[in-house]
Amino acid sequence: MKSGRKSSAFRRYKTRSVTTMLLYVLSLAITSIGFDHFRLTGLAAYLLAILPALPILVAMVVVGLYLAEEKDEFVRSFWLEAMLWGIGPTMALTTVWGSLTKFAHLWGMDLFLVYPIYCVFVFIATAVLKRKYR
Amino acid sequence: MICSTNNPAIKRYNYRAAVVMTLYVVFLLLAVWVFKLHPPTGVAAYALAVLPSLPIVGMLVVAGLYLAEEKDEFIRNTQVQAMLGGIGGTLAVTSVWGFLENFVHVPHMDLYLVFPLFWVFVGVSMFVVKLRYR
Repeated sequence: MKSGRKSSAFRRYKTRSVTTMLLYVLSLAITSIGFDHFRLTGLAAYLLAILPALPILVAMVVVGLYLAEEKDEFVRSFWLEAMLWGIGPTMALTTVWGSLTKFAHLWGMDLFLVYPIYCVFVFIATAVLKRKYR
Repeated sequence: MICSTNNPAIKRYNYRAAVVMTLYVVFLLLAVWVFKLHPPTGVAAYALAVLPSLPIVGMLVVAGLYLAEEKDEFIRNTQVQAMLGGIGGTLAVTSVWGFLENFVHVPHMDLYLVFPLFWVFVGVSMFVVKLRYR
């Protein structure tokens, strides 16, 4: 993994990720302030509401770019494996929680939390895989 | 995910997927029926609510087993690409819809729909990947 961290593809990924996350924080602040201080309706409300989702979409493109640009096959397959492992627990959690909300009236979970949950599981998978390939 | 073939890994996947999906239909009907006619409370309610999601979790295991057992690197690679496309599409929809729900109060999307949504995007991605390699 260390060689991957130093690769130019990874450096570009880090720069793009940090930029995207800063844009996310900024857009979320703009949206929150916009809805707190102005009575928005119609198209303006919809556009402002999806504003924080746009950096998230860009973040996924950033990951795709990194996977396309990464030359080290081992590092690339490592991240692919971690991303695949992230899918399972995310789907399991949303399905179980969704069933509990529907049938047992457990409190609902906001849908936009699915992305951070997936990221947490990918992070955990990364840690486990690092130990595996050490 | 996979059409008819002589590939033993795909055959096993098709068989396991059919069993798991049959269990899903049975458990879902059972849960809906019991909650409608004799609504349970406490732990029983939670256990019954979780019941339909167990085959869904099983389906993830089936997909994981298939990826582990598939010997053809090309087929495996296309499946991985389709699954990553599937999670990308799913996270895009849940993020955008989640923020719309939060700020402009669009109709609520139930959390248990995330899993079928994922498979719809896997199907679309598989179509795109197949077009790419045709």
